[in-house]
Amino acid sequence: MPEMTYAEAIRSALRDEMTRDPRVFLLGEDIGRYGGAFGVTFGLLDEFGPERVRETPISEATIVGAALGASLLDMRPVAEIMFMDFILLTLDQLVNQAAKARFMFGGKATVPMVIRMAGGSGTGAAAQHSQSLESLLAHIPGLKVVMPSTPADAKGLLVSAIRDPNPVCFIEHKLLYKTKGHVPDGEITIPLGTAEVKRSGKDVTVVAGSIMLPRSLAAAERLTQSGIEVEVIDPRTLRPLDVNTIVGSVRKTGRLLVVHEACRTGGWAGEVIACVTDSEAFAYLDAPPRRLAGADIPIPYNRHLERAAVPQTEDIEREILALVHAQI
Amino acid sequence: MPTPFIMPKFDMDQEQATIVSWLKREGDPVRQDEPVLVVETDKVAIDVPAPVSGRLARLAYKEGDVVPVTTVIAFILGDGESLDSLPGVPGLPPRDGVLPKAGLPLASVATPLARRMADALGVDVGRVPTRNGRVTKADVERFRQVALPADGKTAATPAARRLARERGVDLQSLTGTGPHGRVQAGDVAGMQPAVPSGAARPGRAVPLVGLRRTIAERMQASFQQAPHIALTVDADVTALEDTRRGMNAVAAEDDTPRVSLTALLVRLTAWALERHPYLNASFQGDVIYLFEDINIGVATAIPNGLIVPVIHGANRLSVGAISREMHALTQKAHQGRLELQDVRDGTFTISNLGMFGVRQFRAVINPPESAILAVGAVVRKPVVINDRDDVAVRPILSLTLSADHRVLDGVLAADFLGELVKAIEAPGIPAAEDLRLTGEADPRRQT
Amino acid sequence: MRVTTSKNTEQKGHKSSLPEEAVPLGLGRDQLVEMFRTMCLIRRFERAADQLYAMGKVHGTMHLSAGQEAVAVGLGRAMRTDDYLVNHHRGHGHFIAKGADLRRMMAEFLGKDAGYCRGRGGSMHIADFEANNLGANGIVGGGIPITVGVGLALQMQRREQIVVGIFGDGASNEGVFHEAMNMAALWRLPVLFVCENNHYGMSMGVERATAKLPIAQRADAYGIPGWCIDGNDLLLVYETMRRAISHARSGEGPVLVETLTYRYFGHSKSDRNLYRTPEEIRAWKDKDPLDLFRCRAVAGGLLTSVEAEAIDQQTQAVIDEAVAFAEASSDPDLSSLTEFVYA
Repeated sequence: MPEMTYAEAIRSALRDEMTRDPRVFLLGEDIGRYGGAFGVTFGLLDEFGPERVRETPISEATIVGAALGASLLDMRPVAEIMFMDFILLTLDQLVNQAAKARFMFGGKATVPMVIRMAGGSGTGAAAQHSQSLESLLAHIPGLKVVMPSTPADAKGLLVSAIRDPNPVCFIEHKLLYKTKGHVPDGEITIPLGTAEVKRSGKDVTVVAGSIMLPRSLAAAERLTQSGIEVEVIDPRTLRPLDVNTIVGSVRKTGRLLVVHEACRTGGWAGEVIACVTDSEAFAYLDAPPRRLAGADIPIPYNRHLERAAVPQTEDIEREILALVHAQI
Repeated sequence: MPTPFIMPKFDMDQEQATIVSWLKREGDPVRQDEPVLVVETDKVAIDVPAPVSGRLARLAYKEGDVVPVTTVIAFILGDGESLDSLPGVPGLPPRDGVLPKAGLPLASVATPLARRMADALGVDVGRVPTRNGRVTKADVERFRQVALPADGKTAATPAARRLARERGVDLQSLTGTGPHGRVQAGDVAGMQPAVPSGAARPGRAVPLVGLRRTIAERMQASFQQAPHIALTVDADVTALEDTRRGMNAVAAEDDTPRVSLTALLVRLTAWALERHPYLNASFQGDVIYLFEDINIGVATAIPNGLIVPVIHGANRLSVGAISREMHALTQKAHQGRLELQDVRDGTFTISNLGMFGVRQFRAVINPPESAILAVGAVVRKPVVINDRDDVAVRPILSLTLSADHRVLDGVLAADFLGELVKAIEAPGIPAAEDLRLTGEADPRRQT
Repeated sequence: MRVTTSKNTEQKGHKSSLPEEAVPLGLGRDQLVEMFRTMCLIRRFERAADQLYAMGKVHGTMHLSAGQEAVAVGLGRAMRTDDYLVNHHRGHGHFIAKGADLRRMMAEFLGKDAGYCRGRGGSMHIADFEANNLGANGIVGGGIPITVGVGLALQMQRREQIVVGIFGDGASNEGVFHEAMNMAALWRLPVLFVCENNHYGMSMGVERATAKLPIAQRADAYGIPGWCIDGNDLLLVYETMRRAISHARSGEGPVLVETLTYRYFGHSKSDRNLYRTPEEIRAWKDKDPLDLFRCRAVAGGLLTSVEAEAIDQQTQAVIDEAVAFAEASSDPDLSSLTEFVYA
């Protein structure tokens, strides 16, 4: 099984799907010769040509609108929005148009489009280039929201997203692009809406996605020395959320911690916790379900402040300990 | 500027001192180096001299107060200086920081928070058992959880509630180990015994739950902390049995509950304790606290364990009142309806296993008390009844006293036992009105 | 690129008679009669919708296009039936001109399950995907970027169809208008941008909202043809649209056509016409597209007044049938509340 980076895995998915299906094409800023702001599409221009690796002017709203229009005619566009922060420029086309076309036209329209975007902090890009806005998107009916944490998941989920007949927001994390992992050979698809138990344990359930997944795994590894076995679940898709897997886990452990980089207030951890307390797992909770999230501030520039603004491995470890020892 | 007069530190590891007496009063003139007050530290009494000459003002502490070293305890005013120029309460620690007077139970140390909580809950912090000699908020919460809370609500996690429901366990009988005394699932279910797979010996693991767990912890603490001495005596209960039969004849006519041997023993023990205060005391770290009231707990078996309802003021009650009280408490115990007031403030405990045929046994002291009396079965035995070595068969009761050697020595214990045996063998010795069958119950007790 | 402006051409300014003008456009009597009939249909349809609303039968609001029929019919006739349409909220006329089933339109207005959108969209979101009508948009300018995408797909699929994206004068000041014009021009997409300038963006007159008129001249900024014409002259609209569509279909790139017209009803049903004078409305009614065409048709011997009147009256029957159908239809079942969200 080859090992590749998260960015390479995404490129691999794009390449495989563009080869398999001539309807698949890319559009976005600087995705051609430059290879995309994070190098994800590097080399694809040479392979597939400028018509299918279509560079656009700086016009985010129309990038998404064009993707929508093209998908109405059975194309399979994969648009790249350079920074997740810029998705806000596209919200009319994404939320008022793409998410609602099928519904308000009575089921007649199909919108098989994918919007890829890079989110998250840790690169010193400051407030307008570091946000984690997946909670906003996951709130919108009609959209699907996917957030992979590993190269294998990135590839499998992107392939599924491209093949999905609905508008899918595919959220990548900047700090994950260079991380490596094993990716199976051949065609892999991971169904949207399925979580994965990345680590089994009996003492506490930690739900963590994107960059928080490796941090949670690291915390869990440290805690085995204290005799605490942490179960780590990667939701992988935020909408639709795989509630069953999470509920089953909490039923077993009785303790839940949800970790995300997005700001605490209104963050998707609240949604996960509400789903759990609203399930059979409630009667098995032996501690209040908790969330560990980004501070309710824009991301600061200073590196220490930036680091302190979002959960780190040691924060996750500390929260788990407090939960397990009934200090919460 | 007025000169602050601080409590000096005499020893390197000294943290506080107790004011034994002020040699000077407020307004008195003092000379530099003249002794102003006498304090006592761990080891010895010391004179404290004035740091400067002047007039003594604003004595902040009184005799008996335990004051941390370097605290300002007074001011010395120079000529023309007045109290007005004194800064508002400088250097005085907040009230919470003041350790309570000597003579009050210190329970080694109680945190200010524990103290506040105990006050709020109406719990005497000195009564709160503590694992490591320092009463914390958690200890107070735990102590309070021993009996049913007044509003019937228990803080418990959903998992604990479910388990309690599934196992038919009364949540309110459990001691919670979670924050704020919250009952966790583990409190209901206990720790899973760590049975290594494949190496389990045949048997069944019974989780250490609730009351059983509490008892286990308290007995272990008692046994480990209090050096137990045990003394055994035999008492001839012929006369006592006669007295009891007579009382029960009257009781039968009046349709009141029968008087048990234990009820009589409670009364007689109370009488003896009046005369032997060190058996009615508690070891409190820095002090031995001699309880004023005589509240005798009677160990009572219930499903899951043991509980000790208390007869308060046993020395002021008639036997009849004691008997009625015991009947009521036993009933409540068996129904799980004992309240906090029924089990608190015990000063001495009696445990009777005679009904099971046990002849003699040693009990573990019920903390924070300093002694416990173990009563065995009445056994008819041949005994020498006079100095002519005549032998007759008499009903003999074996009593074993376990006592805390930190509080009293063997001689004191023996004295007490001796007096008790005398009272048992000649019940007339206690004044007639002490050994009443009838008489009003203590008006303090509401039943 | 050439920009022509021919505003408010007086009737007298027509050099030739109607039939003479129509011949080079390939329009015979039958086609002309059909076009007239469609305009009447649209006019009566809008009136009927207005009445339904007045009777309290329509939930929500509607945006009526009475007065703009010539644009709809001229454009509709110039399009191929399989050309794509991205419509805007004042789109009933375009929908009808593209050949919609009036019964299903009415049913949609009344929110019925038999409506084009199963009662989920209402007047503002009518769509008929089978007829390549990709729906009306409730966001001003919201359809313009979508139009670009459709054009892109058509180009990549090497198809012959074009896409017409219709929007109003207000939308031309939305940011996406400029993004879309730029991108469509850059990639030479098969797009016809039609700006129906009815002189008002809700209550805002176009002169007060737009720094430089005509709007069509903006095409120059993007290097594409931009034409501004009298939108109430049916044949002029038809001719212009034919040329524009031909240009777009040829691979030469997009075109912007601005049609000057007027709406009689207010912006929406809550509009009380506070922002325009009765005189202004009357002045435009004097240039009513139906009247203009009828006069020319009669004058040119195409129709007698009686015949014209009869054609108009007959359309009422179609409308009445549509209304009856809609009223008799049932609401969507509540159990289907959460359908159609995801494919």
